[in-house]
Amino acid sequence: MTTALERPRGASALPGAATRIRTGAVQGSPAVLSIVAMIAIVILAAVIQPGVLSMNGITLMLTAAVPLVLATQAQMIIMAVGDIDLGVGALLGLVTVIAATVLTTSPALGLAMLAGIVVVYALLGFIIQRRGVPSIIITLGMSFVWLGLGLELLPTPGGQTPEWLSAIGQWRPELIPAPLVLIAVATVVAWLIARRSRFGTRLRALGSQPATLEKLGWSLVRTRMAAYAVAAVLLILAGLVMASQTRSGDVNSAGNFALMTIAAVILGGGNFAGGRAFPVGAAFGAITLGLITVLLSLVSLPSSFQSAAQGLIVLAVLAGRVITERFIRS
Amino acid sequence: MTSTETTAIVDGTRGGTALLTVDAVSKRYGKTQALSTVSVELGEGEILGLVGHNGAGKSTLVRLLAGREASDTGAIRVAGLPEGAAFTAAAAERAGIRMVYQELALCPDLTVAENAALSDRRPTGALWRRRAERRIQDTLDEVFPGHGISVLDRSGEMPMAQRQMVEIARALCTDRLRLLILDEPTESLGVDAAEALYRYLHRRTADGVSAVLVSHRMHEVVGHSDRILVMKDGSIVGQYPGGTTAESTLLAAMGGEVSTDTGTLERVEAELDDQEQPAAAREGAAVLALTDSRGRELTARPGEIIGLAGLAGQGQEGVLARLWAPGLLSRSVTVPSSRAYVPGDRQVSGIFPLWTVAENLTIAATRALGRFGFVSGARKRELASTWVDMLRVRGGAAAPITSLSGGNQQKVLIARAFAADAELVLLDDPFRGVDVATKNEIYTLMKAEARSGRTIVWYSTDNKEMAHCDRVYVFRAGRIVSEMPGSDATEQRIIADSFDETEGELR
Repeated sequence: MTTALERPRGASALPGAATRIRTGAVQGSPAVLSIVAMIAIVILAAVIQPGVLSMNGITLMLTAAVPLVLATQAQMIIMAVGDIDLGVGALLGLVTVIAATVLTTSPALGLAMLAGIVVVYALLGFIIQRRGVPSIIITLGMSFVWLGLGLELLPTPGGQTPEWLSAIGQWRPELIPAPLVLIAVATVVAWLIARRSRFGTRLRALGSQPATLEKLGWSLVRTRMAAYAVAAVLLILAGLVMASQTRSGDVNSAGNFALMTIAAVILGGGNFAGGRAFPVGAAFGAITLGLITVLLSLVSLPSSFQSAAQGLIVLAVLAGRVITERFIRS
Repeated sequence: MTSTETTAIVDGTRGGTALLTVDAVSKRYGKTQALSTVSVELGEGEILGLVGHNGAGKSTLVRLLAGREASDTGAIRVAGLPEGAAFTAAAAERAGIRMVYQELALCPDLTVAENAALSDRRPTGALWRRRAERRIQDTLDEVFPGHGISVLDRSGEMPMAQRQMVEIARALCTDRLRLLILDEPTESLGVDAAEALYRYLHRRTADGVSAVLVSHRMHEVVGHSDRILVMKDGSIVGQYPGGTTAESTLLAAMGGEVSTDTGTLERVEAELDDQEQPAAAREGAAVLALTDSRGRELTARPGEIIGLAGLAGQGQEGVLARLWAPGLLSRSVTVPSSRAYVPGDRQVSGIFPLWTVAENLTIAATRALGRFGFVSGARKRELASTWVDMLRVRGGAAAPITSLSGGNQQKVLIARAFAADAELVLLDDPFRGVDVATKNEIYTLMKAEARSGRTIVWYSTDNKEMAHCDRVYVFRAGRIVSEMPGSDATEQRIIADSFDETEGELR
């Protein structure tokens, strides 16, 4: 019996490094726009206020982007299987509340609660796959549950995060800005999960064409549950990082994250249909959105206009993505 | 025919041991009896051909063989599997049974290598990606030398022919292959790739691998099977030796009309006579013109049927796409403003799976049916039932589209395009997985519609079908290489023209 591993005579070699880079660039091209947008914003900010390029400036500018990047990676995984998580913001708020209350007073109970979130997310995946409930409905409903739990634990912003967590927030390495390190780690981890692992392949197959995955003998339920569990872990990490920065808990601290993360994923090359995952693009998308806020405060736009301006910039960048995509395809 | 008789005729296993035994299996879907007490024995190293019309039960039988579905009664036994164990997809996989699906089962967003890794359960460790690339590339090289596929490409961005090659190679990526089930494996393949596949298949069967070959291409089944089973209405109605049986014998056993289906022609013509019939205007001015990259022009006049021929994937689909959506700024394409398109990829861009036959059929015609944006339900039902009766779509207008067999779904899609009253109708390989009787009905319909003044542009992977056209353009590497009247368009002439130019490499 011949096997597929026996090299037939005249077998062609696998694609070389150059082909790999070219293919990667073409396939990842939807993500390019987010990088361009980010660079443009950094340059604008640097022209207005040269101080932003200093070590301190970068740290200040990017601090707020770290939890957004982590949450965006989680959203990217959910969107890769073809779903959308609208409960991201409320969940992050709840995690900061847990971190600022229970995790300090009784760490074991706090960790158990965080583990419980992962279990609940796996359960959401189960229900969505088994019962065919749209993820938008179920995660929107859950966002109110998270909000309610958070208010129950800590009705007004406050509390105190544990020492070790605050220490992470205070970490300032000498050579590289700390947020850059955290963002890079988060992106690499998400990249390994979504693009390099076999699990990541199944994940994208589920979003791309579930019938095929099932035909080949994989459990759709287990795949979706695993995707949700992984996303929950990333979301909890995002919440903990956020709590470590503010050293307190506030259930409303990430109120606009659900839509921000979705916009970041789309900006970074993802799509609503599922099947695609661009961790690097998503990270740049999240940084871009984070920096828009910084830029708008640098040009001293009245704060009442900031939301509208932010929304218009996001729309402009997304429109740019549609145009570049058409350009690449033709 | 009773099950005992069926068993009696089904044994020719080259005297070797039986790899797989199907014992009096029945399967029912709702009201339809898909299989009734079918018994088959499959020997080691045997290629078993399976022919029959759409809905004869072939697809159901192979799904059972692959363990994708359980039979209602009866049993499937595989040598080496424990007696009495449930025959599931996992058990079939363990027994070394692999299937190439007719509706291509590749995830469009994944690369070739990732798609292959999904179905290849061999442990591979941390470097799985590199090994998966190696395996699929080697398999592709072995089966389809010179395939021109990059394992890094996303499968959704490749032409049909290459996707089909990947689908086949993916099923072969295993160490324990014992039975390969091929469901219409060559529908999208060009002639040379199909031959390469069969050469490979014979090499493997010489080593003891068995194969089940399901195809509407009779000459391929006859030429490459050791034994041919003919199915009709869920039963096996005949067994013939491969190689020597005449195609007409098989067609007669299948119960299909070999000659042109005059019944449909009469129905279609009677239908058309009721309408106002504009005079056929084949001598009129061209309504369609398209210039290829070297300036050769493709034109069509009202009432003409234009065929796009050549080897599979030489740019014919691209021409259809340009005719369908020329874009705002293209000066090289002139098309009528009302166009209809039958996509080649039925499952992905053809049917609306949640809708009924009537809704699927009339969606393109809603503009004509509607008034101020509201569609008249009565007129919609009337239009749908006219076409359903004319093309004899099994199941009727109210049936859910997914309950229809592949051939009947295709009829609905073609009816949709013609029901839209478009001047230009584009058909992308409309005969994928369609049996002979349906093919004849569709030819007839095309001819009748053309006679009423419509222009039809049509691409088919089967160059023999091109004789039905008024004019044929042969394509190679995205360019027109020759033009001929349909009466001259024999398969030999098209193939000769496809290879005529020596420049560039051929896939």
